[in-house]
Amino acid sequence: MRRLRAWLLRFGGIFRKRRRDAELAAELESHLQLHIEDNLRAGLTPEEARRRALIQLGGVEQTKEIYRDRRGVPWLETTWQDFRFGARMLRKNPGFTAVAVITLALGIGVNSTVYSLVDAMLVRKPPVTGPDRVMMLLSRNPAPTWAANRSPVSPLDFKDWQAASTSFEGTAAEALSRVTLGGGAEPERVPRAEVSSTYFDVMGLTPMLGRTFLPVEETSGNAKTVILGEGLWKGHFGSDPRIIGETARINGQDYTVVGVMPNRFQLLSFPAQLWTPLTFTAEQLSPSGRTSRFLFVFGRLKPGIDEGRARAELAAIADHVAKDHPDTEKGWGGNVMSLQEYDVADANSGPALAILMATVGFVLLIACANLANLTLARNSSRQVEFAIRTSLGAGRIRLMRQLLTECMLLSLGGGAVGLVFAMVGVWVVRGALNWNEYTTMLASSISVNGNVLIYTLILSMVTAIVFGLAPALRFSRSNLQASMKQSSRTTSAGRERHRLQKILVTGELALSLVLLAGAGLFVKSFVEEMQSSMGVNPSHVLTARVSLAGLEYLDPPRQAAFFQKVLSELDGAPQSQSTAVSSDLPLSYGEYEHFAVEGHPEPDAQKWPAAAHYSISPGYFATFQMPLLAGREFLPSDNANSAPVAIVNQAFVQRYLSNGDPLGSHIMIRSSPSPKWSEIVGVVGDALEYPGESPHPPQIYEPFLARPASSMCIIVRTRGEPIAFADSLRQAVWGVDKDQAVTNLKTMERVRDDSDQGDGFMSAMMGSFGGFALLLAAIGIYGVLAYLVGMRTHEIGIRIALGAQRSSVVGLIIRETMTFVLIGVAIGFAVSLTLPRLLRSVFESFQVRSASVLTGTLLLVILVGLISCYLPARRASRVDPIAALRAE
Amino acid sequence: MSGKTDVWQGTLALMVLKTLKALGPLHGYGIARRIEQTSGDLLSVNYGTLYPALLKLEQEGYIASEWGVSDNNRKAKYYRLTRAGHKQVERAALEWTQTTEILARFLAPGEERS
Repeated sequence: MRRLRAWLLRFGGIFRKRRRDAELAAELESHLQLHIEDNLRAGLTPEEARRRALIQLGGVEQTKEIYRDRRGVPWLETTWQDFRFGARMLRKNPGFTAVAVITLALGIGVNSTVYSLVDAMLVRKPPVTGPDRVMMLLSRNPAPTWAANRSPVSPLDFKDWQAASTSFEGTAAEALSRVTLGGGAEPERVPRAEVSSTYFDVMGLTPMLGRTFLPVEETSGNAKTVILGEGLWKGHFGSDPRIIGETARINGQDYTVVGVMPNRFQLLSFPAQLWTPLTFTAEQLSPSGRTSRFLFVFGRLKPGIDEGRARAELAAIADHVAKDHPDTEKGWGGNVMSLQEYDVADANSGPALAILMATVGFVLLIACANLANLTLARNSSRQVEFAIRTSLGAGRIRLMRQLLTECMLLSLGGGAVGLVFAMVGVWVVRGALNWNEYTTMLASSISVNGNVLIYTLILSMVTAIVFGLAPALRFSRSNLQASMKQSSRTTSAGRERHRLQKILVTGELALSLVLLAGAGLFVKSFVEEMQSSMGVNPSHVLTARVSLAGLEYLDPPRQAAFFQKVLSELDGAPQSQSTAVSSDLPLSYGEYEHFAVEGHPEPDAQKWPAAAHYSISPGYFATFQMPLLAGREFLPSDNANSAPVAIVNQAFVQRYLSNGDPLGSHIMIRSSPSPKWSEIVGVVGDALEYPGESPHPPQIYEPFLARPASSMCIIVRTRGEPIAFADSLRQAVWGVDKDQAVTNLKTMERVRDDSDQGDGFMSAMMGSFGGFALLLAAIGIYGVLAYLVGMRTHEIGIRIALGAQRSSVVGLIIRETMTFVLIGVAIGFAVSLTLPRLLRSVFESFQVRSASVLTGTLLLVILVGLISCYLPARRASRVDPIAALRAE
Repeated sequence: MSGKTDVWQGTLALMVLKTLKALGPLHGYGIARRIEQTSGDLLSVNYGTLYPALLKLEQEGYIASEWGVSDNNRKAKYYRLTRAGHKQVERAALEWTQTTEILARFLAPGEERS
C-alpha cells in the first residue's frame, strides 16, 4: 500500500521537474547557510566556516542526482528522453521517415484488416449473456455427411433430451424459416425463428420493448404473437413507439406484436428478424416425426457444470433414446458444443482465414525486411554519432535501447497510419462481402474495434523488434576507434555489413515470389471458373423469387395459376423478350430428388440415386438459351392432366441412360406427391450449380404445370438493361397479388457472381496482397541496390578512370546483384512448387492449371529484379570519375 | 572527521522519524545535527544520504513537509510526522529493538554451550 503510494508519487515526479529542482536547490542552500552560521557561531572565520560545511555536506550535484533518481522513475525518464530524441531524428529526416512509416502502415494495415475479419468470425463471442455458458445440443449423424456432428434435432428428441438432462438451467429450441411480412410500403420476405418460450432466458436477453413469450403461447398452439427485431421495427414499422399490441401481418395472418429485440442480438449462424412461438404439429410429435430433424437446441449450463460433463450426459441420453427407437434413431447420437464453437464450425472459414493471415503476415515480413535495410543504411551513416555517444559513456545496452526506441516510434507511427489503411480496408471488405445473407450479416459486424486496436498496437511493437533488433545489435557493437577515424567511407565498405543486407533482400525476394505465386493460383482458379461455360447465357436476364404466402396458396393448382398469370403479364411488356419460371435457378444450389430409372435394378433406399430437380415453365430453355440436344421442350399442354413427361440433361444421360435412346425411356421421381413413371421427351445441355463444377451434375426437369411449387423464380430475358426491368417485374407480381413479396431481385450475372461462394473475394484479397508484396519487394531491392551502388561510387570512379567501359560497369553491377536476386528467386520458386498441393489439401475443390501461373510469377519476379538492378547500375555507369574521386 | 561512520541507510529512516517525534517539526539541517549529536558525533550525515531518505519517507506518507522560517529568520523546509509516521516509529522501533537483541545474543561472549 505504502509502496504503491510511493510509486504513484514517483510517476508524478516525472512532471514539473524544473520547479522541483529549484525547490531542492533552495532547500540545500538553506541547509548550507544554517550550517555555515553554526560554524561561525563556533568561532570559525567565514572562509573556514564555509569550507567545512561544504566538505561535510558532500557534493551538491551528486546529491541532486541521487535525489532526482528517487523522485522520479529513471528508466521511464530515459525512455522518454530516447523517444524525444528519436522523434527529433525522424523529423530531421522526413524522407526516410515517410518511406518507413508508409511501408510499415501498408504492412500493418493489411494485417489489421484481415484481423478484423478473424475477430468477427473466430474471436468475438456471440452477443448473449455469459456466452461461454450457452451450449448447443446437437444430433450426431452416423452417416459421414457434411457437419455430421452438429446436425439439427427432431422435436421428440428435443423433448426427450429436455426431460432427461440435468446439466442445464434451461433449454430451448429454434426452427428457422422465411415468412412474408405484409402491411408496410411493400411486402417483405424476412427470416423468422420459431422459438421456445424459454429461448430468450437461455440466451440471457431482454427485449427493448414489451416482453418475451409466455409458456402458454408455446403450448396452446394458436397464440399468434410475434417479437420483432429492432431493424424490422425501425424499417418496416417506422419505429412506432406504441407497437406493442399492434398487429403484424405474417404470411397473410394477423399476429400481435408483444416485444422488440435490440439489433445487437443477432446470432451469425441463426439470423432472424422476427420471432414467433414454436409449436409442433401432431405429425411432428408422432413416432415417424423423429426423422425430421430441423430444430436447433440451446441450453444454458448450470453453475459448476462444464461442457465436457454436459456432452457426456447428452451422449448417454441420446444412446438411450436410440435404443428405445431403433427404427428411426439407429446410430444417431447427441453432441454438445458451445454456441461460439458452433458458429466457427458453421462458418467453415478457418482455412481461408489461415491462408489470408499467413499471406498478410508475409507481406509484413517483407515490409520488415525493407525497414531493416533502410535502418541499416541510415545507421551506417550515423557511425560517428554512435562513436561519440560511446566515448561519452553510453553503454551498449543504452545504445541498443536508443536505436530500438527509434524503431518503436517508426513502428507506432506506421501502426497509426496502418489503422487508417485498415479502416479503408475494412470498408472495402464490407462492401465485398455481399454474396449471400450470411456474408452480408458478417459484413455489418466487421469493424476496427477495440480488439483490432489492441492487435494493431501489439503487432506494431513486435514489428519494431523484428526489423529493429538486427540493425541495433550490429551498430551497438560498432568499433569505437575505427568509426572515429573513418570519418568517411573507404573504397569498399566492410563485406560483412553488406552480407546482412543481401540476405535480407534474398529472403524478401523469395517470400514475395511465394506470395505472388499463391495469389496467382487463387486468381487463376477464379478466372478459370468464371470463364468456364456455365451452360446458360446470363447476360440480359433478370431474376426474382416469389414465395407464395397465405392460406389461399396451399393448393398446388392455385400456385400454378398465380405464376401463369404473372407470366402472361410479363409477356405483354415491350422490354421482355422471353420469360419463364422455375423452382430454382442455375448457379444456385437447388433441390435434389431421388429417382428411379425404368429397367434398372432397385437399390436400397439409402442408395437411391439423386439429381437436381427443377419445375419449369415451357419458355425456360429458350430464356436461358440452353441448347436442346434431342427431343422437344415442354409445351403448355404438359400439365397435371396430361401424360407425365420429363426432360433430363446430358450429364444425366451419360450417367444413367448411356445405353439406348434416352428419348422414350422412363424415370420416376420418388419424392413427388404421387410418384409416376414419366417419359423422357427431351435432352438439354448441362447448366452448372456453381462455377467450375466438375463433373457436371445430373439434372431432371418437370413441367411446372404438372408439379407446381409455392416458391418459384421468375426469369426474364430483356431487350435492354435487365436491371431497368426490375420495376416492371415487381408490378407484374403485384398486379396479380399485392401481398406477395418479391425477393432476390438480381440480374443473372449477379447470381453468377454471387454463386462463387467467396472465391472471387478470396482471389481479390490474395491478388491485392500479392501485388503489395511485389511492390514492397521491388522498392526494397531497388533501395538496397541503389544504396550499395552509391557506396561504391568511389570504386566505380577509379574503374572508369582506369579505362573501364561504361557497359562493362553496368555488367559488373548487374552480375553481382543479379546473383543474389537469382538465389532468392530460386528459393522462392522451389517453395512455390509445393503451393498447388498445399492449396488442394486445404480447399477440396481447388483446381487450377498451375504451370502457367508458376512460370509467369517466376518471370515477373526476375523481371522486377532485373529492372531494380538495372536502374542503379545505369546510374553507376554515368559516374563522372573526377567528381567521384574528388568527393572523398 | 575521519573517525566518523556514515549512517547505515536502513537505520537513517528510523533515526529521522524518531528525531521528528522527539523534537516536533524540524528542517533538514536540524535533523542532521540532532542525529549527529545524539550519536555523540560518531555519525556524520551528509546531503547525499539525508535528502533522498527524507524524500522516500515523504513519498511513503510518513512525514510531510512545508516551507517555514527558522529561528534566525532563514527560509527552510520543515518536516513533521504524519499520523502514519507516528505509528511507523513505534513499529520500526520495536522491530529494531528485537533485531538488535537477537543479534546481541549471538555476539555476546561466553554464552555458548560447551
